[in-house]
This record gives sequence, structure tokens and C-alpha cells, in this order.
Amino acid sequence: MGVKAEILLVDDDYDFREALEIILKNHGFTVRAAGNRQEALESLKVKRPDLIILDVMMTTDTEGFDLAYEIKKKYGAENLPIILLTSFLEKVRDEGPGKFQHILGEEWPAKWMFEKPVDTKKLIAKIEGILKEG
Amino acid sequence: MGQPAKETGPLNVPEELRKRKRIILGELRERTLWFIKLRWWVPPSIVLGTALARWVGVEFQWSALLWLAGFILVYNFVFYQLSQKVKREACQKEDIERFTHWQVGFDYGTMFLLIHFTGGIASPFIFFFIFHITFSAIFLPRRWTYSFALVAAAGMGLIAATEYLGWIPHHDLLFHGKAMELGQQPFHRVVILGFFSGFVFITAITITAVMEMLERRILDLAELTEAVTVLNNKLNTLYAMTQAVGSKQRLEEVFSIACSELARAMDVQAISVKLLSEDRNFLQFASAYGLPEDILKHKVVEVAKSPLNRRVIEGEPFVTGHVTHGESFQFGEDLEAARLNSVQFVPLIAEKRVIGILGAYSSRPEQFGPDDLNFFRQAAGLVAIAIENARAYEAIENLIQERSRFMNRVAHNLKAPLTAIASMLEVIRNGYLEKVGGELRQYMGRVDQRVCSMLLMIDELMTLAKSQSKQRRAEFAPVDLKILADGIRQTFLQKASQKKLTFEVNVSENFPQAKADSELMEQMLENLVSNAVKYTPEGGRVGLAIEPGENDTIQITVSDTGIGIPKGEISRLFAEFFRASNVKNVIGTGLGLAIVKEIVKQHGGQIHVESEEGTGTAVTILFPASPEESLQSRVSAEMEVLSPDIVH
Repeated sequence: MGVKAEILLVDDDYDFREALEIILKNHGFTVRAAGNRQEALESLKVKRPDLIILDVMMTTDTEGFDLAYEIKKKYGAENLPIILLTSFLEKVRDEGPGKFQHILGEEWPAKWMFEKPVDTKKLIAKIEGILKEG
Repeated sequence: MGQPAKETGPLNVPEELRKRKRIILGELRERTLWFIKLRWWVPPSIVLGTALARWVGVEFQWSALLWLAGFILVYNFVFYQLSQKVKREACQKEDIERFTHWQVGFDYGTMFLLIHFTGGIASPFIFFFIFHITFSAIFLPRRWTYSFALVAAAGMGLIAATEYLGWIPHHDLLFHGKAMELGQQPFHRVVILGFFSGFVFITAITITAVMEMLERRILDLAELTEAVTVLNNKLNTLYAMTQAVGSKQRLEEVFSIACSELARAMDVQAISVKLLSEDRNFLQFASAYGLPEDILKHKVVEVAKSPLNRRVIEGEPFVTGHVTHGESFQFGEDLEAARLNSVQFVPLIAEKRVIGILGAYSSRPEQFGPDDLNFFRQAAGLVAIAIENARAYEAIENLIQERSRFMNRVAHNLKAPLTAIASMLEVIRNGYLEKVGGELRQYMGRVDQRVCSMLLMIDELMTLAKSQSKQRRAEFAPVDLKILADGIRQTFLQKASQKKLTFEVNVSENFPQAKADSELMEQMLENLVSNAVKYTPEGGRVGLAIEPGENDTIQITVSDTGIGIPKGEISRLFAEFFRASNVKNVIGTGLGLAIVKEIVKQHGGQIHVESEEGTGTAVTILFPASPEESLQSRVSAEMEVLSPDIVH
């Protein structure tokens, strides 16, 4: 692959975001970073990325979720792949759909989810897999 | 609990009554048919009697008798055909009565002819009327019995008179050609007639009197049965409510059961539960069954403005059989519009404090008596307990949720910097910023390991806290242990082969299906096998065996040839943060086995550990194949979840 894909990385933890950004860049991806919902939406308006990595728990417990729904529904980016990151995989799995069921049935905003701290090898392999499938 | 009253299996009294009515109708029909059956014997008896009488020398109009026998045969055949119809169709009492009238009519006609041809008033057949009078006294209204008795007496009088006057011929009985002259004298005729009339009337009066008495008894019995039914219903309701109080924790569920059960048992249109606000100034409908919207629209009542409600809240029940829109009723018009005439309100008292009002509404005026009030007060007692229970439960649940939210926040805030550190370490170790020398790299690796163990500890603490707070309650569902064991094998295969361990997984064939929380079960097995793999030196053996135990239990054994547990430390093995003295150089939190213990506890199982230092350990877990827990539906997330490999 010549020029690798562009990833929008959204996380409110600056240190973590920067570290992951460096790791991803070192694997040849172009990375744009956003620290919150607003920044992410502005960045989306400028240019559509090939993939979004989104932290679930930011200012609010479900900011990442809300943003993912917003991107899917409002911005018509149904096919834009989103990977969620969470510190509480089990908790999100147990409570996530329940919280949003009244609005969206059982539909999830993202197909993939990784627990923090992230196993970057697996994450990169997954990103490449998703982008390859197109 | 849909209809708990039915589950208790009491006698269903109304159904019993209907059954009895069916039996009585069936009996009536049966007797009618029985009469037809009996009638078949009459023609042959006439023929036989005629032959016998002639043989002994009695002479009479035998040909007329044979004609009559034929006539009986014909009309009985017709009645028989009709009776088949009566049998087939569900006939009412009136139909059967009409059918009986026709039979009696024909029988009477034939009997009069029979009597006329066998000596008139002196005929030996006159007492055959007794059958019909008895029969009608039992099964027909009284007036018919007297009518039949009257017709019999009048008919006989008419025969005697017309024969005496010579208007119709008198057929005397002859014995060897000589007239028997029975009842030939007018005096004799009057005496026989008088005797006969007296006999039929006395029979009619006696039997109808007995029947009347019996009917009264039946009515008494029916009334008693109804009273028992009502009582039975009430008892069932109290029972259903007690069960609801014990088993339902949600207020709405308790209300819905209590209201519908009470409405049914008291045979009223509506039941309401009104609860006092915290400041005790307002009353609000918490639940209502059968009340029209117009009334429910006044959802909040200001106690100060409602003398009636104030009275009840002060502890005094209120009962009226005629609702008027007078001063005591705030919504009298609405009640009147809904045609609710009787109402009954009692205070809901919990721990000597009135917390609300239970109300019953009926369209019948004067519906509620002292018994109803007593019953309603008892029911109110139960409802009040249920409310207190549910409120306490809700308070506890809120606390648990609060705690859980707090724990999550704390854990997140603890994990966030560690996560950032881990990623930053990765950046440094991989030399993404600048080249890192071997020694520094190795040192960074050790830092990374400590960070990972810290993260692991936070996760495990969270799991433990969650399972202890019962927030994550075990959800029991059928589990295929073979698949579960297979998953464990897959998970640890690589690690085992890296350490050159023999990893054996054995699950018995024909295994009874187990009920367990598969996620917890998996976590338990993972923790146990992970320990076994971790503490077994290279070239050793780790085994997982699942087999049926005694008394419908399932036995899970995880064994290894590892370093073992020092004697005297086994008893502390499952305590939180406990780590054996011989494992200090292996990463661990000391929480894994505490979690195992918690899971086993939730499944109602037992743990047994056998270990020898330097030789190996075998952990055996026994748990019931079907723990007594209700199945709970669970939300399943349709997503691909990739857990990071942070554990070991």
C-alpha cells in the first residue's frame, strides 16, 4: 500500500491520543486528532477520513457513543467505519445497547470495539483488515 | 403471576353449582326416559293379565283391553322417538315438563278407558294413578300435581256417575258367568270414590310437602355455598397478594396484582391506590383498576381541601352506599357519572403511619357491609407492607447504582493515566521518538509490566466489587459445557504449548444439561486454568475435566503439576489479595481466586482444593446442575469484541 489511509482519532486524553497517534503514524497512517465532540465534527466537515477511532467515555460517560450515532445518522456516514475504544469493555457491552435501545432498537453505532489499554498490533491488524475490505 | 387464585387449586364453587344443575336436569330427563321404559312393560302385562284372568274364570271386555295395550304400544313408541330427541338436544326444564305433560295426558286417557272396561269404579287399576302423582310431585310444579290428582278424582267420579246414570255402559267383571257386583251399590261407589280421592290428594300433599322442604334445603345450601365462594375468593385474594408482596419487588407489579385481585374477590368495578406525598399535603393515584378516565384525570388531590380524604388519612375508614356530590365528595359528579354508587376507603398503614388510601368502588348501592370493610382493611395492611417493601428495595437499588457509578468513575480515572502511560511506553520502547538502547528498553519493559499488573488489578477489583454488590447477578440459562470447555482449550492452547505443557480437556459424554451463567462460568474456568498454566513449570501437565457428580451435580476439576500451595496457606487461598508465599516472582493480583469463589457462591456450589508443594494442585468445584434461579433475558450485543491480551 503506497499512501495509507487517513484516520480520525478522537480521545480527550492528550497523552494517550498523542502516543497512539505516533504509533499509527509509524505504521504509515495519516492521523488527524480531535480532543472532543466539537473538534471531531469540525474535522469531519473539513475532510472525510477513511476510518474513525473514538473513545467512548470522554466528557460524559457516553460521549463517544453519542458522537458515533451522530456521525452515522446526521452526517450520512453510514459506511464510515468506526472503532470504539473503552476502558470498560464488559460494562459497555452489558449496558451500552440498553442505554440506547429506546432510540435505536438494538443497533450499535460501531461494529468494532477495543479495550484500553489497546493492543496496538491487533488494532493495526484490524484497521488494515477493515480498510482492505473497503 | 397471572391468576394465582387458580394455582392454589381451591374448589371452584360456581362451576360446582352449574355441574349440580346439569346433574338435576339430566336426572329429570333420565326419569322421563325411565317412565317410557317402564311403559314398555304395560302392554305385555295387560295381555298376560287378561290371559290369566280369563284362565281363572274372570270374564270382561278382553278385546277392548288388547286394543288399549296396542294403543299404549303405539304412543309409547312415539314418545320413545321424541325422547331420543330430548336426549340429543340440550333441553330446558320447560321442554322436559311439556313432554311429561303429554305423557301423563295419554296415560290418564288410557287409564280411564282401562278402568271403564274393567269394572269402572271397582276396577283394580284405579290405584295406578299413584305413579303419575308421585312422579309429577317430584319433578313438576306443585300446581300440576294437584291438577293431576284433581283430574284423577274427577275422572273417576265422572265414570262412576255416568255409569250409574246409564249414560255409558257399565262393564262388570264376571267370575264364571256370575257378576262380581263390586261397588254396585251407590253407597259403595261413593265410598270407593271418596277413598280414592282422599288417597290421591293425600299422596299429592305429602309428596309435595316433602319436596318443598327439600327445595328449601337446597336453597339454604346454595346460599351457604355462595357465602363459601365469596369467602374462598377473598382468601385466595389475600393469598395471591401475600405471594405478590413476597415475590414482587416492583411497586407497579404489586399494585396491578392487588387491584385486580381485590376487584375480583369483592366483586366491585374498581379499586384504587392513592399515596400521600412526602409532605403529606397531597394524595396521588398510584394505581387504579377499572376507574374511568374522568376520575383519574384528578391525579393529585390536595388533602386540605378534601374532608373525606383527610378523615381517612386520620385513620378512619369511610364507607357509603349512596354517593352524592355533597361536600365530602370532591368528585361526586364523576363517580355518579360513572354510575358508582358505593365506595369504601380505608387507610394504608405501614409502621403505624398512614401512607395512603385504598379505595373500592361499586355500581351497586349499599354494596359494602362490615365483613367487606374488615376484609378490605386486611388487604390494605398487605398492600401497605408491599409498598414499604418496594420502597425499601428501590432505595437499596438506588444506593447500589450510586455505588456502581462511583466505582466506575474511580476505576476510569485510575485507568486513564495508566492507559496513557502504557501507550507512551510503547512509543518509547519501539523507538518511535528516538533510538532506545537495549538496557533502557528492558527497563521500560519492566515498567510496562508493572503498569499492566496495576491495570489488571483495577479490572479484577471492579469485577469483584460488581459480583459482590450483586449488580451483575448470575443469569442462569442452559449451558453447553462441552462448547465452554472447548473455548477454554482454544484460549490457553498457545500459552500451554509455549511452556511445553500438556493441556488435557475432558468433558464426559451424555452430560446432563447444566444451567449456569455461561459468562461467569467461563470467567471462573479462565481464572482457574490461567493459574494452573501460570504456576506449572515447563514440561508439566494441566488438566480440565468436567463430569457429572453425585446428586445431580456437575464436577469441574482443574489440576496441574505445578509449584503447589504451601501447607497451611490453602485455607486463605480464596481471600482477596492473598498470594501464596512461593509465587512472589510471578505477576498476579491475588484477586482471581476470590472471583472464582464469588462465582461458585452465586451458583450455589462448593470448592475443594488438594495441593502439595512442589507436586501440584487440583481444584474441584461441585455445583448443582440446575440452580434454582429464574431465567433472565439478557441484552446481547451484536458486535465483534476483541479483548486485548493484557492478562498475562
